[in-house]
Order: sequence, then structure tokens, then C-alpha cells
Amino acid sequence: MIITKKRDFKDLLENLKNYKSFFLIGCSECATLCGTGGEPELAAMKEALEAEGKTVTGTLHPKTGCQTLGTKIELKKDKEACNAADAIIVLSCGAGTQSAVEIFPDKPVFPANDSLFLGNMTRFQMFDERCSLCGECVLDKTGGICPVTACPKGLLNGPCGGTDNGKCEVSPDIECAWVRIYERMKKTDQLEDFRKVLEPKDWSASRKPARLNTREKKEEKK
Amino acid sequence: MSLKSALESGKFTVTAEVGPPKGTDIAKILHEAEELKGKVDALNVTDNQSAVMRISSMSFCKLLLDMGQEPILQMTCRDRNRIGLQSDLLGASILGIKNVLCMTGDHPNAGDHKEAKPVYDIESVQLLNIVRALNDGKDMMGNEMKGGTDYYQGAVVTPEAVPLEPQLMKFEKKVNAGANFFQTQAIYDIEKFKEFMQYARKFPVKILAGLVLLKSSGMANFMNKFVPGITVPQELIDELKEAGKEKALDAGIDIMARHIKQLKDEKICDGVHIMAIGAEDKVPLIMERAGLL
Repeated sequence: MIITKKRDFKDLLENLKNYKSFFLIGCSECATLCGTGGEPELAAMKEALEAEGKTVTGTLHPKTGCQTLGTKIELKKDKEACNAADAIIVLSCGAGTQSAVEIFPDKPVFPANDSLFLGNMTRFQMFDERCSLCGECVLDKTGGICPVTACPKGLLNGPCGGTDNGKCEVSPDIECAWVRIYERMKKTDQLEDFRKVLEPKDWSASRKPARLNTREKKEEKK
Repeated sequence: MSLKSALESGKFTVTAEVGPPKGTDIAKILHEAEELKGKVDALNVTDNQSAVMRISSMSFCKLLLDMGQEPILQMTCRDRNRIGLQSDLLGASILGIKNVLCMTGDHPNAGDHKEAKPVYDIESVQLLNIVRALNDGKDMMGNEMKGGTDYYQGAVVTPEAVPLEPQLMKFEKKVNAGANFFQTQAIYDIEKFKEFMQYARKFPVKILAGLVLLKSSGMANFMNKFVPGITVPQELIDELKEAGKEKALDAGIDIMARHIKQLKDEKICDGVHIMAIGAEDKVPLIMERAGLL
């Protein structure tokens, strides 16, 4: 999921200083699990804004904020509340925020969160980055642990000289990705693969802005 | 004599290391380099070591060449992408630089520009492959070049890494990628190093044992605690402590000289790489005591 963190409320207020009324949009997916865009956060944001003398015309907790069309349809019932708002505040990730930007071509949209990384929830509200969306997965060659993400240097061919008893030179809080990979491949009897040299990555596979249209491809087949 | 000729002649080869300063005043490093002239076989020039921004390795390598010395260009993958690395390798080649040491490089987090974007587009094993391609007259994409390089390429290895096996597997990748020589992370336990050499001797590469000058028992303790892959045995720490504050550096010089002598006399490895870290002026004395001068 996309891991998000609440932005400083004071910074948000600075963004909002020229506006009085707001419509709030959260998200039922990642942001709810992160505690940044669920029903409780929408309610808390409403309360905090009202305490600052602002008006909240309505809130929506859409199913999937980054699904632009679906969110647009869900917003239909809130048409009046949206119209009454000077600006929109989005409590989800950068993608959810930009759904709103697309849906509201003539209203300012502000993000309430910072989008941090693509990760897993390891325990309740604890998140670890797991994937860098590099466009060219290496998990088949690295025992299922991503060194592009888990190694601060993104090394592809084994540990650097900075590894120390399984810890990373960057921080003792980081487990050396390549020691983890080694230990796992040893257990799974895949060490022969560890010996293979991984070639330099094709970074053009993650060139921005990325786009994917699987529908087009299906149509082409006909 | 070139580093390659020295190592291939079977001579016990000595390399040392100089770190270019931050800023353009190079009086001190020039003096150090001058002092080492004719004594060491080659001089490593570090590449923004510890991720602290300094004069580029290539520039100082060129000054060493002008002084009639044999430089080893240290090249890390931290600050340049594959285009920059190859371009600098070609650039260093036309300046007459013949030796390159390929390393991944300390993370910016270790240095004085912690907010820098680390590059690591390429890493050490891949960089060795790139040098081999350039030597063959092609860039890493296989494009023909007008004129190739003629590098003698080296790499680094940590003989006391914990765990050791993945480190050795990477060592073998480096050998297969064309590394001709290795300079090791600092070693202090010669018996342990012998075990590593027994393994490393299976490969057609030259090994220079890395030696860091101990200046005090405090420094030894610090390295044990904070420097990955380095273990200073307790008896050496005691030796430094017993020497007292005034004489600790002298004891450190003795220790290194003793180790060099043993490595040479017992033909354990092909040479040594002396890292004096700020006490480069002591290198001739170390070599003298080791019976090399």
C-alpha cells in the first residue's frame, strides 16, 4: 500500500489562509490503514478546521480515492456541499489528491498528507518499505527480498564493505539487505543464483511519467 | 615501474594512500606525496572518502603523474551515473592514469553532505565489467569507441566480514569481472588472514593486505566498535596501552612494521596497502622498520 503521513497542521493552515470553506475527501484504502484518511481522521480534521474558524461543507470517505472515475461518481451525492466549498482538502496519498484535482478543474485542492513509500503494514500502524516500483522486478533473482529497496545503495551483487554483523553502515536500525538475501537463499537452497552477476538495471523501465493501458492491448488483439 | 609490472614481477609490492583535501590548498598533500616518492610502488588517491566532499581523485592523480609517481585512481559509484563514470574513466585514461580501484563507495550518510542524492546507478562488480569493456574498446552498451583504455583494475575485499560467505561470493564476482588486484580492508590478525589467503590463492589475482596505522588504544577500540569488518585483537590494544600516550603512535608503527615483515617473509600475500590516515609522513619510517627501505 501507499504509506502516508499527516502533514503539519500549521503548514496546512498556511495553505488554506485565503479560503474559508472546505470539502474533505479521505480514502478507504491505504490512507485508512495508515490512520491518515479514514472516518476518524476526516472527523478530526473537520473539528480542527472549525476550531480555526473555517467551515466544512461536507466530507466523503470514498472507496478508492485514486480511482478517479469511481470517486467522481461517489461525489455526485455531495454536489451541493462541493459547490459550496472554496477549496478541497484530500486526506489520502498524492494520487488521491490528484484524483480530486482532475474532478475539480476550477477549485484549489490541497494535500493533508505526505506520501512516503510503497510498503507493507508489519504490525498495526507500523510500515516498512518493500518495493521501489523500479519497473523491472529482481525478486526472482534475490530470494524474494528487494535490494533495490532494502539496501540504501540499491546494490545488486552482494553486500558492500559496510555490512557489519548483519547491520547496515547507514544505520544499525537497518538489517543488511544482502545478508538477509544470503540467509534466505541459503535456506531455500538458491545460493547458486546468488553467484550470478546481476547486470546494471534498466532505469528506463521506471522513466516518469509512467503510463499503462492494458485495455488498449486487449483491443489490439481482436 | 608500473603497479602492474611490480605485482607481476613477484616483488613484494607496497601501496599507500593519500586523501585530497577539502579546498584548493594542496601544500600538505603534495609534501606527503613527495616524501613517498620512490618508496612506495603506487599511491591510491581516494574518491571523496567517507562521502566527505573534497578535491577529485582524478585531478590529484594527474599531479602525481606529473611528479613521476604511479597513481591508483579510486573510483566510487556514489556520485556519478554510468555516463559520468565511463566519461571519467576515458578522461583519466587520456591523462595517463593506468590503475583504477573500483568500489561502491560510502553512503552520503557517512559524510558532510548527508542530504545528497546517492547515485549507485552502477556498483563495484558492474564497474569492473565496464572497465573491462572500455579496455576492449567498447562502452558498456557495446558501442565501438575510437580508442579504448588500458586500465589495470583493482577492487576491495573485507577478509574479516561477518558473515564472511556472502563477502567471498562477491569477491568471486569481482574476480570474474576482471579485477587484477585486491586491496583488502584493514587486517590485524595475521593468522586469520592466512586462512583468507589460502582461499584467495585459488584465484589468479594479486592481493595487497590492507593495514591501517594504529595511533592509540582508543582508536583501536573505536574501530572495533564502529568500523565494519575490522577487528583489532586485544593483545594489540594492550600493546598500545602499555606504550603510554606519548609512545602509542610509535607502538602502532612497530605493530604495522612487524606485520609487514611477517607478510613478506612468510610470502603470505603479494604486498601491502598502507593506510596511515593522517600520518602519511610516518609511512617511510614504517617501511624502514619493516626492512623495506
